Amino acid sequence: MLRFLIRRTLGAVVILFLLSIVTFLLFFGMPRDPGLLMCGKTCTPANLANIHHVLGLDKPVPEQYWIFLHNLVLGSNGFEQGPCPAPCFGYSYHTNELVWSTLMDRLPTTVSLTLGASICFLLVGLGTGMLAAWKRGTLIDKTVTAGSMVLSSMQIYFLGPLALAALVYQTHLFGKPSYNNFTGNPVAWFTGLLIPWVVLSTIFAAQYTRMARSSMIEQLQEEHVRTARAKGMSRQYVFFRYAWRGSLIPLVTIFGIDLGSLLGGAVITEYTFGLPGLGQLAVQSVFFSDLPLLLGVMLFSAAVILLFNIIVDACYAFIDPRVRLA
Amino acid sequence: MTSPLETEGGGTPLVVDDEKEPAREPDTAQLEGRSPGRLMWIRFKRDRTGVISAYVVGLFFLIGLLAPLISKLYGKSPYTVYADERPELFDSAGVPVQPNGGMSGEFWFGLEPGNGYDVFTKLIYGIRTSLMISLVVTLAVVLTGILLGVSAGYLGGRADFAIGRLIDFLLAIPSQLFFIASMPVVVSLFVSPRDETPTYVRVVALILVQWVLGWMSLGRILRGTTLALREREFIEAARVSGASPWRIIRREILPNVVTPLLVQATYLLPGFVTIEAGLSYLGVGIVEPTPDWGQMFSKASTELVLQNDITYMFFPGVSMILFVVAFNLLGDSVRDAFDPKTAR
Repeated sequence: MLRFLIRRTLGAVVILFLLSIVTFLLFFGMPRDPGLLMCGKTCTPANLANIHHVLGLDKPVPEQYWIFLHNLVLGSNGFEQGPCPAPCFGYSYHTNELVWSTLMDRLPTTVSLTLGASICFLLVGLGTGMLAAWKRGTLIDKTVTAGSMVLSSMQIYFLGPLALAALVYQTHLFGKPSYNNFTGNPVAWFTGLLIPWVVLSTIFAAQYTRMARSSMIEQLQEEHVRTARAKGMSRQYVFFRYAWRGSLIPLVTIFGIDLGSLLGGAVITEYTFGLPGLGQLAVQSVFFSDLPLLLGVMLFSAAVILLFNIIVDACYAFIDPRVRLA
Repeated sequence: MTSPLETEGGGTPLVVDDEKEPAREPDTAQLEGRSPGRLMWIRFKRDRTGVISAYVVGLFFLIGLLAPLISKLYGKSPYTVYADERPELFDSAGVPVQPNGGMSGEFWFGLEPGNGYDVFTKLIYGIRTSLMISLVVTLAVVLTGILLGVSAGYLGGRADFAIGRLIDFLLAIPSQLFFIASMPVVVSLFVSPRDETPTYVRVVALILVQWVLGWMSLGRILRGTTLALREREFIEAARVSGASPWRIIRREILPNVVTPLLVQATYLLPGFVTIEAGLSYLGVGIVEPTPDWGQMFSKASTELVLQNDITYMFFPGVSMILFVVAFNLLGDSVRDAFDPKTAR
């Protein structure tokens, strides 16, 4: 287990390193002048020269990358805005704040949104999927299949505004979604995130229903399940003890990927509901062409995704005893 | 396929891959050979859901294709700002005065709050833009997937290793963030950030970013299929008889990967449509006044619409659900027709 974790972590570090090169090149190597990109439409030569100086763009790109990497690992005191401790992505060009502390500010929102929604969609999705598999061929099954088909084809950018219009703007049943600190005010935290949770988990739950149903049906056709039934075990026992466990294995993989990519920034959801998370941060920094911040968001979210891939693979060993990690 | 078996086939086309044997009816006097493609077509036609969804999907493409003609017959342009031309139709906030978003005999789907574009022409032109971009992306992705996937599978060794690692690496990139973040950079490659961005540059940039991160899943599947095919006798026979690798790939392998290719492509296209719409929704894709499906959603999520005119958001919303559902059902039917063994 330990060897597995070490090997996978090293692999993830290599990928992150490569990704940092590619992203850095994308932002600072590919445009003819990244300073001009950040300067925007109302750019004066003085502004431009200032950007070049502040971000060190007058140096060759490999040297810029080397400085970036050096700062990231060791931190730096070379910034005009102040010191920049170890995971140093520099200072945001637009807000003049530390990129790392901006990321940490935004993280709780994304984590709250993701965790709340995943609990919802896992419970609902697996529940209805199993129910449909249990009642296969009946009216319930058909309703669930058709409903999940339509709902999983919905997009957050339609369902989100629809929910906002129906629950907030037209009927005033809820306040506008917002993020409140959990420790400060748990009730406001809950009510503020309720609509985003419901919208996000509706679409995901529909997808998980479909997957859970087909995975379960596949499991029920396995030989060990048939043998268990032939030995005289009850249908319930076989369903919940034998097939259920097997059907979870493919779902765990997908859940890990989904959780990782949501934690890396549920971009459209956060944008729709105006929640100040990592995804919204990414969209904002695109509009201000805030390249240091954008680089930080990209690498951070890639790190989260890789971390969750490792966790998922480690979880396999617990669910499926056939898997050996080495 | 230049299979050696073909010469001894005696009239009935032999199938050398794992497709079903052609249906034989020994009782009838006339033997009719059916190719796997023909069998698939027969199975597909029997699937009522598949046929209906194919019609729906076809209708969307037809609407996109004929959008200029339709709007000409309808007599309006998606660029006309009715808030300026016919101010009596709008109140002071720019919301259509008539109920249901200004739906009437003249404006079938009503008028857009704000600028007052005609929703019907805007929608059909929007579908046209989105489908065109997604089609090009799908084509590019399919070509790249074939090129890299098949060559990785067939050549093996170092090429396989390199392409495999490339796929692993690209899959580790957070794609949604990458799409958003790289849009301004890609656009700045074509025009200076100081100038106004022409629409065609945005279209090219949208196609490029989706293409770069879109081909991996298909590439992986084609690599697997090719890897399995490589060891088959008919490939070996071709190799022994002196066929060049290029010829083997073109004439022996490609015809046999058409099945997974077609099935995957029908799943990929609606995915690209929703990604493109998502980017335009976030404001980094197509922007006004160019009509676009996703950009209609971004209009629909403004406070003006949410507060005053929710009719508007149903036109892009319902049409997109219809499109995605129909395309997914079509994909399922195509898969079932190719491979009737898979249980749903």
